[in-house]
Amino acid sequence: MTGVVEAEAVTKRYGEVLGLNGFSATFSEGITGLVGPNGAGKSTLYRLLAGQLKEDAGRLTLLGYPAWGQGEFRRRVGYCPESPALFDWMTGRDFVTTLLRVDGFSRSEAADRSARALEEVDLTADAHRRLRVYSKGMRQRVKIAQCIAHDPELILLDEPLNGVDPVGRAALSGLMRRLSASGRHLIVSSHVLYEVERLTDQIVMIANGQAIAQGDLHRIRDLIDSRPHVIDLESPDPRALARALGGWDHVVSLEFPAPGHLRILTRSPDSFYRDLPDLVLREGVTVKAVRSADDNLDAVFRYLSEGRR
Amino acid sequence: MSISAPRYVQAPVARVGRTSRTWSIVQREIRRRSTWGPLLAMVLTWFIITLWTVVSVFFTSLVGGSIRAAFETPYESVIWNLLMLIVAATVGAGSLADDIGSRSITLYLSRPIHLTDYVAAKASAIGIWILIAAVGPGCVAAGVSAALGWASVSDALAAVGGCLALGLVTAVFFTGICLALSSVTRRSLYAGVAIFGVVLSVTAAVSVISGITQNANLLYADLTSNTQSIAEAAFGLPSPYPTDPAASAAVMVLTGVVLATLAWWRLSRIEVVGE
Repeated sequence: MTGVVEAEAVTKRYGEVLGLNGFSATFSEGITGLVGPNGAGKSTLYRLLAGQLKEDAGRLTLLGYPAWGQGEFRRRVGYCPESPALFDWMTGRDFVTTLLRVDGFSRSEAADRSARALEEVDLTADAHRRLRVYSKGMRQRVKIAQCIAHDPELILLDEPLNGVDPVGRAALSGLMRRLSASGRHLIVSSHVLYEVERLTDQIVMIANGQAIAQGDLHRIRDLIDSRPHVIDLESPDPRALARALGGWDHVVSLEFPAPGHLRILTRSPDSFYRDLPDLVLREGVTVKAVRSADDNLDAVFRYLSEGRR
Repeated sequence: MSISAPRYVQAPVARVGRTSRTWSIVQREIRRRSTWGPLLAMVLTWFIITLWTVVSVFFTSLVGGSIRAAFETPYESVIWNLLMLIVAATVGAGSLADDIGSRSITLYLSRPIHLTDYVAAKASAIGIWILIAAVGPGCVAAGVSAALGWASVSDALAAVGGCLALGLVTAVFFTGICLALSSVTRRSLYAGVAIFGVVLSVTAAVSVISGITQNANLLYADLTSNTQSIAEAAFGLPSPYPTDPAASAAVMVLTGVVLATLAWWRLSRIEVVGE
């Protein structure tokens, strides 16, 4: 089966800097997560897909068309850029309507579709306000509205959940799932694996401009989980907490990096997160904060990248 | 029984043509520039040129003389060029620079429109603003003068025609300059300063060099000389200037078209990358 988006050894340079370095991946139907740390090349790939950049080498197609250029097939593609820049002098409604007019919809059709898209992202009440007064989350949502308003077949969302509050995230995730369920294809980027994990099992991992892993999330997770994870805990009594955790098989090491802090290394972060609440209740220890150093995927990507060399 | 994922197919919707799509960008761009700066420049231009023309026609009608020459008086002045320059810089400086700087150009160009349409839309928006500033005051002054009996209807209509001809040439010229200089920067302020700098420095340099070398052909590179020559011809007056009005008009239109093409060429090679 051919993919919705296919990249074959795509390279993009910015002078001396490599944005993409022989990136090869196939994005199949449904939702695909594009996961990578900041600076990995996600936005470069999106700009290539949006026809805003031209690949220096390799081959990139979407819906069977070469990505470079502004052909009529763009009507079948929706693009939500990461950049927060919008037409600030416009109202939310004007913004979506204007872009629909550029898509070729009549004035009345554009107005109808704009209203529906803004409703989808829960911005109906704020549609009359100028974009310059929108919060970061509202800006994200209006960008998504312009991206879906023309009913595209392929939707490119670059960090769509960035800056959106938890309630908004849940709503947007629901919207993405609905779009996918109706047969549309979505490519959703994020630098937070857990964010994408809730949306799809299909992911492409990118680091240093290369696809370092792709396919089923569970397989990739297994790969990631074979490496011990660092988790930082904050507690008024870290030693008591360390004693309680010391009995767990998957905990490889314990250290105290600072007063009130405990750092553990575990081979099974899933088990850790599952069992920690029970332990806290049972042992009566206080945990003020839990931070996974691996939530910042830099470490994981470094590990996978190194594994490829 | 087999289960398969739904396959999405866009519902067929009648789409408007390329011209309408481009026009929607023109409309938005005109609205976008309706801010204090351009509006103030526009009001200033209208006020000065209209008043100047009306007063000039009024006194000419009293003391006698060529009414057409009275209508033409403001357009022969350096002030008119300066006002056009102010309008062009305030309206056109950010035309492309703002979109490139904010990367919102991406939102347009990821749609099914061609770069040519986008540049044409931007050019049209700037051109319309400049045309309103260039032609409007003359038309109002002609109407007022004819209504008050200071000028005959035929002289008033000739003045409107003259304004229109000069306005069109001026609009093409300044539109080209604005597009070219707005395409080379991400900041509208730099583009605005560049528009002033380039026009004024070229005009001053050409005046000085042509004066020293006594080479009248160099005056074709001088905005003021060209405008004066075209204005005389457009208002049906004998030209006392050394430059040929048709050649002057050709130079200005060609300059505008070439510069607009350069802007298009520049955009076709620019890649909207991160800051």
